[in-house]
Order: sequence, then structure tokens, then C-alpha cells
Amino acid sequence: MNRNEVSDKKLVSAYIKGNEEAFELLVERHKNRVFTTINLIVRDNYLAEDLLQETFIKAIKTIKSGRYNEEGKFLPWILRIAHNLAIDYFRRDKRYPTMVLEDGSAVFNNLDFSEDSYESLQIQKDTHDRLKQFIEELPLVQREVLVMRHYMNMSFKEIAEVSGVSINTALGRMRYALINLRKKITVNRSAYDKNLYPK
Amino acid sequence: MTKTFTRNDLIRYIYQETTEREKQEIEQKLLLDNKLFEEYKNLAEVSMELDRVDLSPSEKTINKILNFSKSINLHSA
Repeated sequence: MNRNEVSDKKLVSAYIKGNEEAFELLVERHKNRVFTTINLIVRDNYLAEDLLQETFIKAIKTIKSGRYNEEGKFLPWILRIAHNLAIDYFRRDKRYPTMVLEDGSAVFNNLDFSEDSYESLQIQKDTHDRLKQFIEELPLVQREVLVMRHYMNMSFKEIAEVSGVSINTALGRMRYALINLRKKITVNRSAYDKNLYPK
Repeated sequence: MTKTFTRNDLIRYIYQETTEREKQEIEQKLLLDNKLFEEYKNLAEVSMELDRVDLSPSEKTINKILNFSKSINLHSA
């Protein structure tokens, strides 16, 4: 079986029939996207690991008890579970608006890279570390829209509904999120260049 | 596009949420307006950068999930 050719729908169907290998493929295929989504919301690697586990356990229970709606798509569905759990965590602990940035150093050890030379790995790691940090530094409302649109693939209409704002507000927040990130990346590149090529 | 073009429309364009007609009209504007094209390019580049943030959970957590799945069988109830 070619792992990439089998659709999520077929894998879920196989899993419903008891095929654990199908579930393993689903987890392998989507673990990073779900983990990244949670991590960018909660900004804490250890908490994100716990919430990832909770997310998949909830999915397992739903699927195995026959309550999964096969008409829907697996990834958006599990991302919604992940997002809700991450947001619920903050509401429960009343930490949502005042979350303090964690060190997060452990997170950086888990980044995925496609190239394998040490130098390219190092450059990519630096870039990704900073980008993740820049996302975490965004104002909460901008970060939320960015995570929902970019990593959860929700439409701006869906984001507006979930957030209780107009579509234009959601679009505006996304635009400012991208503009802010752009500024941070530019400043960072400029500082990097000055270090590399001092006068 | 019958309505007035706004900067937010660029965001809808980047995230492919425009109609085919809107898409063509935005592309037309981008060809004619250098400043707008520059903004589009900058925002689209950042959007592409975001794809590179790809975090992996630990093996330990994944194993716990897979083991949990193997350990329960709610269908038999």
C-alpha cells in the first residue's frame, strides 16, 4: 500500500473496521500539523504534547464508538478538536489573555527539516526558531486568526463565526499579522547581515 | 469586482478565497499597480514562510497515542 496514495477517508474507514495500521498512518500523516497548531496557541512544548495526546484520544474514542461522521474530513475535524482543547485549557486556567512567553527551548529540538547537511540544517533551524518566536510575539487576536487560517485551514468566514467578529475584521487581523511578521523578519535579516558582514 | 478593492482582498487572494472573476480582477490590478504588487509579494512571501514552521511531537507521545488506540475497543460494547 502506498502510504501517500490512500485517502484519509479510506484510512478512517479501515480504522473503524479495526485496522490499527490505518490509524498509525493517519497519526503519522497529521501529527505535525496538529502539534504545530496546538503549540502556536499554547506556546508551551510540554503542554502541547499533553494536549496532542488528549486530542487524539478524543478522536479515537469518537471513532471507535461509532460517532464519527464519515462525511466530514479528518484533518479539519481533528484540528477543531485540538483548537478547542487548547482554548479550553486557557479558559479553565484563566491564563488566556496573560500567557507569558515560555523559554520553549525544547520545542526547537523537535523541528522538522527536509535537507540534511549540517550547515543547511543550522540555517533552517535558526530561521524557523525565529519565525516561531515571531508568531508567538504577535498580539493574541492576530495570532489566533493566523493559526486558524494558515494551520487549521479554516476559511475567513468560519473564523469570523467562531471569533464573533466580521469577516473584514478577521481579514484585517490576518493582514496585520502578516505585515508584523514581515517587519520582524526584515529587521532580523538586517541584523543577521550586519553580523555576517560587519563594516 | 463590483465593490471597491480593499487591501483585505489581497489576503483573500493569497488564501485563494476569491471567486474566479475577483481573482482575474485582482491580478489585473496587480499588473498595473507596482505598490500593490510589492505589498502582495511581501505578504505572500511571509505566508509561504509560515509553511516552514512544522513542529514534531516526541516519539513518546505518539507511542502513547497508538498504544491507547490498541488498548480500547468500544465497538464490542
